[in-house]
Amino acid sequence: MLVGAATAVPAGGLAVELGPLHLEHPLINASGTMELLELADTLGDEILSRPPIAAYVPKTVTLAPRSGNSPPRILETAAGVINAIGLPNEGAAVFIKERLPRLLELPCPVIVSIGGFSPSEYEILARRLRETLEERFSTEGAAGEGGMTPSWVSKVGLELNISCPNVHTGCMSIGADSSETREVVAAVRSVWPGLLIAKLTPNVTDVTEVGRAAVEAGADALAAVNTFKGLVIDRKTLRPYLGNVTGGLSGPAIKALALRVVYELYEAVAVPLIGMGGVAEVQDVLDFMSCGARVVAVGSAGLRDPLLGSRLAQALSHELEVRGLSLGQLVGRAHRTDS
Amino acid sequence: MTGVSTRGEVAARKRLGSLTWLEVEVPGWPGAAPGQFAMLRSVSSGCFLGRPLSVSDQEGERVFFLIAPVGQGTRELCRLGVGDQVEVVGPLGKGFDLVAMGWPAGATGRLLLVGGGVGVAPFPLLLRSAAVLAGVAHGWSGEVLVLVGFRDQEQAEGARPVEEAVRALRNAGIGTRLEVATEDGSRGRRGTVVDLLAEEIAPQDLLAVCGPPAMSEAVARLASSVAGSRAWFSLETFMACGVGACHGCVVVQRDGSMVRVCREGPVFPWEALYGDAGAKGGGPGC
Repeated sequence: MLVGAATAVPAGGLAVELGPLHLEHPLINASGTMELLELADTLGDEILSRPPIAAYVPKTVTLAPRSGNSPPRILETAAGVINAIGLPNEGAAVFIKERLPRLLELPCPVIVSIGGFSPSEYEILARRLRETLEERFSTEGAAGEGGMTPSWVSKVGLELNISCPNVHTGCMSIGADSSETREVVAAVRSVWPGLLIAKLTPNVTDVTEVGRAAVEAGADALAAVNTFKGLVIDRKTLRPYLGNVTGGLSGPAIKALALRVVYELYEAVAVPLIGMGGVAEVQDVLDFMSCGARVVAVGSAGLRDPLLGSRLAQALSHELEVRGLSLGQLVGRAHRTDS
Repeated sequence: MTGVSTRGEVAARKRLGSLTWLEVEVPGWPGAAPGQFAMLRSVSSGCFLGRPLSVSDQEGERVFFLIAPVGQGTRELCRLGVGDQVEVVGPLGKGFDLVAMGWPAGATGRLLLVGGGVGVAPFPLLLRSAAVLAGVAHGWSGEVLVLVGFRDQEQAEGARPVEEAVRALRNAGIGTRLEVATEDGSRGRRGTVVDLLAEEIAPQDLLAVCGPPAMSEAVARLASSVAGSRAWFSLETFMACGVGACHGCVVVQRDGSMVRVCREGPVFPWEALYGDAGAKGGGPGC
């Protein structure tokens, strides 16, 4: 029961296009911070028919199942959270067979996040997803009721997680290197006709170099940022607290850092940006959009408030009205000197 | 019945020695099973995340929590006053499933609740549920035994809700006994709840356990040496979401697999956790 949930987001004025995906409003979730299907067990199935985000990004899936890092995996920090979860997931085969069909029933687009340890792993994953979607949607079309066959391209996008700081090979080491990024994005681009997002790590000297490489290799959009690599000390033992020693820092603690990254990317590339990093209040949404994000993701703050996305969308609508701004005027506003 | 993610309002707060009894009105609260928990966060909190707290008891939409001021988040909750707003997500997790545990066990079976410190938090609701099941069991004449241990008299004040629940069971004609121990002997027996248990435990006993890691491990060792006794443990770890999303609160089970305390737990059977390897990661506790 979604007691206290925001009422439906007002139609019109908030809709955005993210490549071929139509989003009813600009708020989505960051991968790994929301298990929508399991949330339905807790809060009821209504959340599936009325998700609190405009597109759902499930937890990163890898080719083989992973159990993740040894605990402890997570701790609260000053104004944030540090985690070293390590991408536990059921693996591509189970995801495709059991989870994906349920996700495709959601009323919003789904952006599948994939992670890997080599360009070929990303490519295999993307191809399997494409083949599954082609098969499913062609079957539906054949058995359809004479209407237009729905194109899965407008329903499913792909996000390349090349930025997880908590696995020791692949992933962030790919996203920290522009030539490896170029190679992975190009490999996936060759087999994936739908929306392709590269999710970038901020743990680099110059994020624009990696961002440009991703776009030149065929990325349709960039997501920034994944977590900042950090470390916490156990106050009793005075040794690293996390089982993985280092972890990824998120939450309001990193917002100003993330805004800088989005601001720089907006100046460097022309593709849509998905901004995230410490989004907890409507002002944060305004800040990210002003820096250039067309879409904004809720991450850590969604851990404490699973319905935050819809609350922020509603508050954004109100803010735009009060300020007399359209979404188009808001996105990138920080870069312009005109009114 | 599905849970809520909403704002509640503090309806009452009582100091029970060093612990705090918080009563929160939660709109739409569907009722928790014993051993389930909720994520609570004061809306004016300086902490980023909620804190997982066992549901101690409930009356309609009024939900009761027993809280120890352990860190900043719990200290803030202990300081709340009537009318203050609290973010609540819950009820969450899998609690003590008495029916699955085999309660009431036979005509003379015994249920032992073993709690240490604020680990007694889930016992009032658990006792009421045990009573309902025992009451409907035809010809049942067994016993509910509640063993609780505290540091000292001040912390032992936190046993008051448990005492009231025990009284209610007795008044309902259900054989119930409460034994208290304190480490400094300022209340009840001098010693630990494990000492109490060592004297009481008998073959075929069912144990519901909630307390700090060292206590739970000692109880596990003891229970494993008594034929036919079976134990379920409520674990505590740091949790970020409480709903299974972040996979942060895992513990390593005896077979090496990792499970989320918030989702697959917080209550686990003895055999899942303890063995040669023991449970690693978040320690048992409540």
